[in-house]
Amino acid sequence: MIFLRDVLIFAGLVALAAAVITSLFPVHEGPSAVPACSDCAFKLVGEYRIVQYGNYASLYLGTREVARYGWAYVEGKPLSIDETYSCAPEPTYVWVFGGVVHISCRGLEPKVGREIGFRKPAVELETSADWRGPGCLFTVELLTNVANGTLATVDVYDEGGRLVASRNLAIPGSFSFRAFRAGAYRVHIYAPPYVDRWLKAYATVGITSLINASVYTTNNTQDLRQLVSLKIFNLTPNWKSGRSSAAVTLNPRGDYFTVSDTGAFADFLLAWEDCRACDSTYGALYIDEVWLVSFKEKPELRRMRSEGGFWHEIYADGTLIYAHNKDSPKNDVYIGNNPFISVGFKSQDSTMNARATFVKECYWG
Amino acid sequence: MWSTAYGLIALAAVAFAVLYTVAHTPTLTAVSLADQLYNAKSWLAQNLPAFARTEKLSHFRLYSNVVRVKAVNATAYNAGQLVKFSVALPLGYRLEREGRNVLYQLFLNVTACRRVAAPRGEPYVLYEVELRHSLDPLPWLEVYAAVPRNSTEFYNWLYSLYKAWGRPPAVGLDPMVGADAGLVELVKAEHVLLYDATDGVARLYAAAPVSAAYILVVDYPLAAPLTCAYENLGVGTQDDIPVIEPPNPPELVK
Repeated sequence: MIFLRDVLIFAGLVALAAAVITSLFPVHEGPSAVPACSDCAFKLVGEYRIVQYGNYASLYLGTREVARYGWAYVEGKPLSIDETYSCAPEPTYVWVFGGVVHISCRGLEPKVGREIGFRKPAVELETSADWRGPGCLFTVELLTNVANGTLATVDVYDEGGRLVASRNLAIPGSFSFRAFRAGAYRVHIYAPPYVDRWLKAYATVGITSLINASVYTTNNTQDLRQLVSLKIFNLTPNWKSGRSSAAVTLNPRGDYFTVSDTGAFADFLLAWEDCRACDSTYGALYIDEVWLVSFKEKPELRRMRSEGGFWHEIYADGTLIYAHNKDSPKNDVYIGNNPFISVGFKSQDSTMNARATFVKECYWG
Repeated sequence: MWSTAYGLIALAAVAFAVLYTVAHTPTLTAVSLADQLYNAKSWLAQNLPAFARTEKLSHFRLYSNVVRVKAVNATAYNAGQLVKFSVALPLGYRLEREGRNVLYQLFLNVTACRRVAAPRGEPYVLYEVELRHSLDPLPWLEVYAAVPRNSTEFYNWLYSLYKAWGRPPAVGLDPMVGADAGLVELVKAEHVLLYDATDGVARLYAAAPVSAAYILVVDYPLAAPLTCAYENLGVGTQDDIPVIEPPNPPELVK
């Protein structure tokens, strides 16, 4: 019992002494001073608080000012004037850079230097198309730095504003579509809040290397000899306006040819006149050779009519495929292997020779 | 036994006092931002030739630590013959490196090159470079123009790199910045940094002699070579010399 009593008395005295010593420690006025430095880091435990004034920031321990700094930042954000901040009872982590104090209660290292936009989530587009390829494939690639998994919608509209393709995809990803009919397409790429863009995609058949030839999109019945021996009628606009067949009138006599829409990428009717001075009644009839160029999977050349007294030779991609009034190949259909086809007409009257090259061209505008 | 008990209690009290004092005494560690910044920039300087190079603007706008380049044709003499090969021209940088307490980001992008005349009439090229940086006061910024001492040797050297690697070398950047020290002379280029209040992008204008192969923007110790996106480079091309046709003499009226 005596042993227990003495232990209790001694423990009580020690506790009293500890309380006295503790009261002297930094909670109010401690023995250790706050380090004065311009570039350093330290940890403070106790009733510290930082107060921002108009031209400096003060670190207080209780009511005593222990240090002054240029400005105070707490967790990366500057304090406003007259604002006070304290981490107590948690420890305060302090960094001083060039006299400016950075405070964190969680011990997060502050960073000097502002972000200049590198880390901003962004989405970029990379477009590609098989220019002069057989497929007319358009691709939009959506790339991102940190916005992975964002959902994007890609909508493709035709010239009439009709939705022809649509897909939702996660970024990063890519979207491809094939243009089955020549025309201009509008592509809407929508991934809020990063991207809301309209792009234009052009799927066309370019007609080049015209010799004695001209291109029309409507009927043409004129006699245009000396200038035009080959009339090329572009039929695709008819299909796009919803018609399933078109009757093309091509001479002063009113002869016409009916062509139906077979769903080809593009169709052209070729009407050729073989003679400089014939057809005195009506003028040039342009029906000595009538052929149809259709771009399907591959370009096709198809004979519709041949007549006249002169001999003719028809060339496709440089090869003789048909001859009229002459011993030679008689191919009514030619299928090319390239995304282009060149067609040539030769006559006994060489001034009427004509040619044209058709090229499938797909590109982003 | 009693003394042991008193001793233990006293030890506990002393231990408490010591631990409390230790916990409440700020321990100072020095933080050197200057060192951290220097290390971040040195790291970028060392790795600059190894960064991904891209010709696609979309990639340049998205990713960090990439170099925007343009592949162009160059010519050199090889065994007395003019040979054509391709080189990459560095046109922009997006650089980023974090130290413990410092975030270093630098964006450089050549937007235009213009022929100008120096005050005494020498032909110069004015580089317009977009510049953004994460630390407002760049310790200092220097711009040098790298002028080949002998352009034939300079392009032959590039051609030897091309032959050895089988890929286009980047002018000023391969195999490392400063590797061409014996072939080019670095002359200080006059420059000015303009801050634009309307778009937040600073523009660096630097004037380099026409014969300079590239300019070197130095944020010590980081040095970034930048070029103009000309189509043809090297020896045997006369792009830099404008052809001035003599005016036609007036015809005599007979």
